[in-house]
Amino acid sequence: MTAASTDDAAPHGPGQPSRKRFALSMRQRDAIAGYLFIAPQLIGITLFVLVPLGLVFWYSLHEWNVLANTFTFTGTANYQYLLSDPALPETLMATGIFSAGLVAFNMSLALLLAVLLDQKLRGITVFRTLFFSPVVVSLVAWTIVWGFLLQKNGGINGMLQTVGIEGPNWLRTPTTAMISVIVVQVFKNVGLNMVLFLAALQGVPRELYEAARVDGIPVFKQFRRITLPLISPTMLLTMIITIVGSLQVFAQIAILTQGGPGMSTTVLVYYLYQQAFQFHYFGYGSTLSILLFVIVAGLTFLQWQLRRRFVFYEN
Amino acid sequence: MAEVGLHSVKKSFGKVDVIHGVDVDVADGEFLVLVGPSGCGKSTLLRMIAGLETVSGGEVSIGGRVVNELEPKDRDIAMVFQNYALYPHMNVAKNMGFSLEHRGGSKSEIAERVAWAADILGLSHLLERFPKQLSGGQRQRVAMGRAIVRNPQVFLFDEPLSNLDAKLRVVMRSEIKALHQKLKTTMIYVTHDQIEAMTLADRIVVMHAGKVEQIGSPLELYDRPANRFVAGFIGSPAMNFLPVNVRGGRVLLADGSELADLGAAAPPDGDYVCGIRPEHLDIGANGAAARVEMVEPMGADTQVTVSLAGQKAHLLLRDRITSNQGDTLFVAVRPARVHLFDIRSGKRGN
Amino acid sequence: MRTELSTGKKTALYGLMCVLLIPFVFPTWWMVTSSVKPISDIFAFPPDIIPRAFDFSTYSKVFELQPFARQYWNSGYIAALVTLGTMTFSSMAGYAFARIRFPGANIIFMIVLLGLLIPAEVTIVPLFQMFNRLGMVNTHWPLILVPIFGAPSVFATFVMRQFFIALPVELEEAARVDGLGRFTIYRKIALPLARPALSAVAIFTFLHSWNLYLEPIVFISTPEKFTLPQALTQYTDAYGGAMWNIQLAAATLTALPVLIVFIVAQKQFVEGLAHTGLKG
Repeated sequence: MTAASTDDAAPHGPGQPSRKRFALSMRQRDAIAGYLFIAPQLIGITLFVLVPLGLVFWYSLHEWNVLANTFTFTGTANYQYLLSDPALPETLMATGIFSAGLVAFNMSLALLLAVLLDQKLRGITVFRTLFFSPVVVSLVAWTIVWGFLLQKNGGINGMLQTVGIEGPNWLRTPTTAMISVIVVQVFKNVGLNMVLFLAALQGVPRELYEAARVDGIPVFKQFRRITLPLISPTMLLTMIITIVGSLQVFAQIAILTQGGPGMSTTVLVYYLYQQAFQFHYFGYGSTLSILLFVIVAGLTFLQWQLRRRFVFYEN
Repeated sequence: MAEVGLHSVKKSFGKVDVIHGVDVDVADGEFLVLVGPSGCGKSTLLRMIAGLETVSGGEVSIGGRVVNELEPKDRDIAMVFQNYALYPHMNVAKNMGFSLEHRGGSKSEIAERVAWAADILGLSHLLERFPKQLSGGQRQRVAMGRAIVRNPQVFLFDEPLSNLDAKLRVVMRSEIKALHQKLKTTMIYVTHDQIEAMTLADRIVVMHAGKVEQIGSPLELYDRPANRFVAGFIGSPAMNFLPVNVRGGRVLLADGSELADLGAAAPPDGDYVCGIRPEHLDIGANGAAARVEMVEPMGADTQVTVSLAGQKAHLLLRDRITSNQGDTLFVAVRPARVHLFDIRSGKRGN
Repeated sequence: MRTELSTGKKTALYGLMCVLLIPFVFPTWWMVTSSVKPISDIFAFPPDIIPRAFDFSTYSKVFELQPFARQYWNSGYIAALVTLGTMTFSSMAGYAFARIRFPGANIIFMIVLLGLLIPAEVTIVPLFQMFNRLGMVNTHWPLILVPIFGAPSVFATFVMRQFFIALPVELEEAARVDGLGRFTIYRKIALPLARPALSAVAIFTFLHSWNLYLEPIVFISTPEKFTLPQALTQYTDAYGGAMWNIQLAAATLTALPVLIVFIVAQKQFVEGLAHTGLKG
């Protein structure tokens, strides 16, 4: 922008009087067009993102019970409660396990599938289509079927029993419940990352592999030393998106486990929803929103910093 | 048709000045070529005439009207871009007629103009094709057709041939020249290729680092380059530059041997850089001794690299020679073909 | 990594991929088949991969228990409006951020990008309050306005901006010389060429709206106004237990049309998504 503004200032300095009498300069006319183009989005962002963000912070400083219709300023009381909330460590633990598990499983499965789909095989697009298909299946429908499959007497345990294995009650045992919600989510969405990775893999110039083959570098090493560095920008970007996405998972939890058993799958978003909309503590719910925002912003910032270290190559 | 005037035109991007005040007057119907190495500001200058870049200082006028603040569309110019900039989603006819259509021409009028332009450029059988179905040369023609359809006052060409292969470039070069002779419209043409400049231009503007080095007809630039930069830039193969001492009209090389005798036409005695075009170094029975380092026959001509008083120099000979590496030749140059340049300023000295 | 493979390796790869496909494909198969099984068969042991008997009455129950057709329409028209709106406004903003120089563009773009960092859950409480003040709770307005103009549209704007940045600038310069103004350049040159990016944006936006769950259950409370995701979870008996076969029938009706559209147009789908400017 420095270029534009300096340029602008040269022939028509802001100090020049009676500018209005003259026709607008080309650059000024174009700038007006620019503002008109972004106006709808900018107004929307202000109205539906910035103002609400400010309000969330304002609400978080209040004790607000909708049912009792009380709205009193309590300063940092909600934040003090947050630190002493006995449910918070459990919630954060569940959030952490869920996000870490989801990201690790999603990224590695996406990469594996992308590498498989990058092979020269007949009918490979059929496989690509099928691996991708859950992405377009309605999220709630997908979750309902998995919930059905994961019932104690459901399809999965039925199959296991035919080979003599007594399956657990997946959604009612803390460990398996967590694994279940992660797995359901990964199979739903891994196709997206898979396709992005596949595009990145196919963007690696073929001559590099040919050069490596001529140099006698084994396939595995080619993958580690050529492929991975070259697709690392894509990996970083998808990772940020996946992590931020994992922190927003709500429908699956609400439908499959309702945060249970106990609080084993009560991730932050679900806890927020419970506090705000089931128990009507809007003030404390807002405090949890701020916490969620801080976590998302912090993680994104952290990864942006890490980019310099781990992304070997950028256009 | 119109004349184009550039008066102390300046351009800066932020704090960086890229054009330092250019003055050129282009006559009505003239073919003017802006030439110079990449980054010299020639394209920026053209884009300022087009209105695609704002003018930071000075005045640009077209047909006597200052156009600094006019939109490109209000300048009555047409432009041919380096990579053609054909609209990929429109066929040839649409591409050519688009501007007329946008300016509200009637359907029959547009069709008539497009047919006229297509006929001139030999595109009539391609009107329904899309750009991606065309060869490089055809795309080039469509880009030109899009420009001439509007019958503008001035044509602007921004390195229009640089994406074509060598053979096609020569063909299209002649077509552009023929087009100019036919339409007689003012044309301003940017290129980094001095051969294109020489063959096309009525007048050439040589630019270097945002400044005009010399303006003149192609032969003026070839015969009397104003400074060392123009001398080195115009002509192929490039001019030889040798350090010389001028004493009493005689041009002497570092080892004292005589290259030419300028007589009364000589500048004051002293050290100069002497420029001699390879095609102007003659072999004879006497002159300065030159040791042959390499002989490169090219069929019609022979290029010989020699060592002349310890300096490398090139000769371009019309006749075939039998010399081999290590042989000694005697070379001389006719006085009228000696260019002497000031050692420090590089300005012409004779 | 593409090299010619031996037959043995090919067979192994096919085998591996078929096994990997099970969790991706089987749930959809199970959803469709279970929805047409008699209630007595859906928990049968051993499980019937292929139904033994058929009972299509579940499909009429779907429409008896809830105004399902109405809910289907709700989801459809909301998603269509959101998709159209996002395509319009995000492509405009993305174009301006990519192409037009105006003072403050970078700062404004950073502010807009902030939307990527703010999950809907963060702002749901104040949004509820705002729409409540405007009397728009239990209407579809929040489900339409927030996605078009709010945080979800930011991703679309980003994708469009990346695309327009990569579009050759000479095309627009040629158009300017040809006499077009900014809006006409956007409308007649940039937008027609932006089809791949626009289709990616359309797909993302449609699926996002179609899948929306938290917002409907916060904002909407009467069944006639429910959207599909919300409606699907309502097929429960008096004790809150799921009526599985009816629920699965409704899920099938929800999922299958989109799935079929996807399979028909899968090439544009997948490739559109791959070219969203996410390549880094």
